[in-house]
Formats: sequence, structure tokens, C-alpha cells
Amino acid sequence: MAVRLTLPVIFFSSHFSPSSSRSRSKTFSSSASSSQMELNNEFGVTKFKEFPYLSAPHRNLMVDLVSTVENRLGSQLLPCSLPPDVQYYQNQTGSAHASLHTRSGNKPSHSQIDFILGSWIHCELPTGGALNITSLSAFLNPLTDAPNFLIELIQSSPTSLILILDLPPRKDLVLCPDYLHTFYEETQLDTRKQILEKIPEVKPYISSSLYIRSLVSPTAIMVRIETEASQPGRVEEVIKDHVDPIAKEVLGIWLDQCACGKREVGEAERAILEKRDGLIKIKTIEVDLGSNFPRLFGPEVADRILGAMRDVFTV
Amino acid sequence: MSCTFLPPCACPLAPANLPAPKIPRTRPSFPCRLSMEKQQLIRGSKLMEFPYLTDPHRDTMVDLISAMENRLGSHHLLPSSVPPDVEHYQNENGTSQGTLHIRCGIDSSPIDFVLASWLHLEQPTGGALDITNIAGYLKSSTDVPHFQFELVKCSPTFLILFLDLIPRKDTVFSPDYLKTYYEDTQLEKFRQRLDQLPEVQPYFSSSLYFRRVVSPTGIVVSIKCEDGAGPERVEEIIREHVRPISNDIMRIWIDMCVGEGVEVGETERAVLEKRDSLIKSKAIEMDLSSSMPKQFGQEVADRVLRVIKSVYNV
Repeated sequence: MAVRLTLPVIFFSSHFSPSSSRSRSKTFSSSASSSQMELNNEFGVTKFKEFPYLSAPHRNLMVDLVSTVENRLGSQLLPCSLPPDVQYYQNQTGSAHASLHTRSGNKPSHSQIDFILGSWIHCELPTGGALNITSLSAFLNPLTDAPNFLIELIQSSPTSLILILDLPPRKDLVLCPDYLHTFYEETQLDTRKQILEKIPEVKPYISSSLYIRSLVSPTAIMVRIETEASQPGRVEEVIKDHVDPIAKEVLGIWLDQCACGKREVGEAERAILEKRDGLIKIKTIEVDLGSNFPRLFGPEVADRILGAMRDVFTV
Repeated sequence: MSCTFLPPCACPLAPANLPAPKIPRTRPSFPCRLSMEKQQLIRGSKLMEFPYLTDPHRDTMVDLISAMENRLGSHHLLPSSVPPDVEHYQNENGTSQGTLHIRCGIDSSPIDFVLASWLHLEQPTGGALDITNIAGYLKSSTDVPHFQFELVKCSPTFLILFLDLIPRKDTVFSPDYLKTYYEDTQLEKFRQRLDQLPEVQPYFSSSLYFRRVVSPTGIVVSIKCEDGAGPERVEEIIREHVRPISNDIMRIWIDMCVGEGVEVGETERAVLEKRDSLIKSKAIEMDLSSSMPKQFGQEVADRVLRVIKSVYNV
């Protein structure tokens, strides 16, 4: 039975393409030396990769996924160029913290990566306890039509976790059954989904956003892991024993077949891809950030983050 | 006939290669000489009897067909175009039976055709599979979603329901389409109402293509009542929930069909046609081409499939 999150939908995180990132960092550093800039950047990146407040299996999973992506893609990715107060920020009372980490693809080296985006949010709840959301998503550019990558874990209590793990398609699967076959049938992604769904504590999760439902693939893992209070640590066990290996397998498939695979994309197709990708970015910002940010961080911080995003990235 | 999935209780079926003669698409080539009396006959025909079904299940089917006939009726639909030996058919020993009722849209209607059918398939293990299906397809002159209802009785305590308005466009690429046909119509509340029943679980078809054809508010569920009061509870669920929800969604769909249509431009029309053609041919390929010969023998299967393929225009 589908149960809904009390907070709206998924924190899908901001999906922006940082094409003018270099010019932005120049503006920012006009009053600071470049070594100060690097230090600030290092601080931001370190803060991001801390993944604080999480259980060890959850943190380890995120750290592993991020390093796998960064190591594999190597020089295809430019360094993170977000201002430090966007890489790490909190609300006035300090009851909510968050970190953002984006790295755009190295265009001159013909990278197929548009950008990768990682984030975490920690928010103390008025009822006691806390909400922790971690995500990693990767967007490809129109040099390829291969699917993107997305993982998001939303833990609202010690006994409840929502997991979204998918390769969201970049084409209309109904119109392109070959694409469906190549990326979703031949890769046997459904097997992984079925394995996870056999675990008794794992139930289907249905997003309250119809748009998000349209975005994900037919093999998307969208589940809620619900454990008994009488079994403390069971969520962590499920993450360690089941979510972790499956997430890594799916990421592996994405890296091999999508990020590093070669696809023929014609001119007309490229134009459609650009348009579709652009729409997805706009919509996910709308669905995701629009409602969450002001609520969690207060309007001032929210405006700053959203403002920085809109300035730096083309949407 | 079954749409695009195989319920777990169906016999495992091997794909078949059925060469079907392609009949040029104008209006169906079999004579439509139906008078008012004949139309009445159809109403009372094997189709509307719906033998083998529980009362609530039969009532649901009759409601839906009546709604289509009454509201779309002569303004939109030609009389049934199915020859008698395809209207009702069976295999040699009568262990598999089916009926098929198709009415094509008149030229000026946005409706391509509406279809109603049932299948009764006795299983080797005892018991029977009962598949009831109602579909409504639109032409490429409009982007209104197709209608699809299918209720499969695998046993008195286990059913599968598929009820949906099938999108004609990529809803990711067309958020306005999503809003107009799926958000503004509040279809989600129907899905949620069923979802909340403990006996109802989401059903994942083994066909990834089918999963994608279904809309974001599509109802694809199994209804399972294991304990002692099983069959009565199933009937109650159909009576209290499936029937009213199906009627509401049918009403919403017919409102869309008869309402002020959006003008579909030339390029859009071409894409709609291509997309519809894929949906329809996949439906037949995945669902019927392989199962019909096994269930009914080659001769009967060929006869029925020829009619279906002609109407589906694939």
C-alpha cells in the first residue's frame, strides 16, 4: 500500500547546468585571493563529503557512490565552482543544514556529462528526531541520448526510509521501444528491482507528483523501507546488505552503458533532447526546491540559494 | 481481449508467428447491414450476458458499455462491425470461449473505435480465467487519451484490474498535457481510494513497455482476499469501489471525447499516429498473437485476429 511522505515529494535537488561557472567564480573571487578561494572550495567539498548525521551504512553508501562517479569520470568533470555559502548553508536557528555539490562536464574534452549533483539535507523535526535526505544525480548532455542517473534516500525516522534509484530515460519510451530494450531490458535492471522488492520490509512508494512518476523509468526502484520499532537497526541492515550492493550495480550499469557508452545522435534528435532535458530541469526545480526550501530554511536563505543557482546555471 | 500484460495465473505462452493478411483501412470490409432490431439483438447477445462472472463484475461491464452506447451512440459510432463468427467464438471442445464487439467511429467523430469483449478460458488445473475488456481509441485528429478497462478474474479470490486513460503524448515533454488530462481531472483520487484498501496491491507487469504505456494515475492492481470471506469480500470491493470508480473514469473520458477538442496540427498528428500505432501493435503482439492460437486453435485465432488487426489498423 502506498504511503505518502508528510513533506512534499522528493528532495530531487536542484538540477542546473553550470555553463557559466567559471565566470561566476571570477566574480566571486575579485575580493579574495585564489588560495582563499581554493580553501573555501575545499571546505565546501569536505563538508559535502562528510554526509553528517547519517548511519554508517547510509554514509558509506553515499561516499562510495560519489567517489566511484568522480574517479571513473576523472578529468571529464570540472571542479565544483559553487560559492561556499551555497556549498554549505543552514537556517537561522541551526536546526536545518544542507550541502550542495555540483561538477559540470568538461566540454572541450567532449565529455557527455552535463553535470553531476550531490546533496544532503539534515533537518531537526519539531516532534524530535530528524529528517535526512541524501541524493546524487547525473545529467548527460545531447552528445548522447543515454539515460541519466538518480539516487535519493529520504529517512524521516529510525524505522522509515524512502529509496529512489533509477536511470531516468531521456526519450519517450513508448515511441522508442528499441531504446527501452537497450537500456532497460538488456541491462536486466528489473531483476535488481525485483530482488529488493522481495524483502518483507520493502513496499512500493508512489510519489505524490505526477510529473515525477512520468520521469522515472519502468524499472525504477521507488520503495519505502518500513521496519518495526522492536527491530532497531534493521533499516541500517537493509541498507548495508541490500540497498548498497544494488545501488552500486545500477551505478555501474549507468557508468558503463550511459556515461561512457557511445550513441549516435542526429541533429534533429539533439534539438529534441535539449528541449526535453531543459524541461526536466525546470520542472524538477519547481517540484522540488520551490516547496521545500522556504519551509526548511526560511525565505532568506532559500532566496539566496535559489538566486545563486539561477545566476550561475542556465535553465 | 487482454491488453498488454499477462496475469501470473495465465498459461505461459510461447510467441507465435501469425501471418495476418492486411486489410486496407477504410471502413471494415464486412457488411454493416444492421437494423435497429439487430442492434437490440446485440444488446441481448452473448456479450451482454457475461456468463461466468459474479453479479458485481457483470454489472460493472454492463454499466460501462451502456455508458458508451448511450452517450456516444449514434452521434459518434457506426453499428457493430463484427461478423457473427467473430462476435462469438470458441475452440473445438468449448473450453475456451470469447466474444468481441466493436463499433467504429463515424468519419466526423474523434473516436476511432470502441471495443468490448470477454474471454472465458478453462484452465488445465481446474478453474477458469475470465478476462473482460473495454477499450476506446481516439483518432490522430485529437490528443484525448485512450480509455482502457480490463478486469481479469484469475480465481474467485484473486483479480487483476487495469483501468487507465492512456496518454497519447510523452508527459515529460508535455507537462500541460499532464495537467489538462490528469491533474485537473483529479484522477489521482480514484487510484488512491483503491490503493488504501488492504486487499489491493500494485501489480507490476512483466512487460516494461506496458508499464510505460500506463499513465501516472493508471490503476494497475491486484485484488486478493485470502481468508474465509474471500469471494464475498472480492464482490464487495467490486461493487463498492471498482464499479463506481470505473463509471466515474468512463464519464470523465466521454466528457473529454465529446467536449471542445484541441486542434491538432499536422506534425503533431504524424507523431500521434506513429505513437498510437506502436501502442496498438505492441498490444496485439504481446497479448494476442501468441495466446490466441493456443487458446482457440489456429483457424479461429486467425479469424478473430484478422478483424482486430483491421480495426486497430496494424
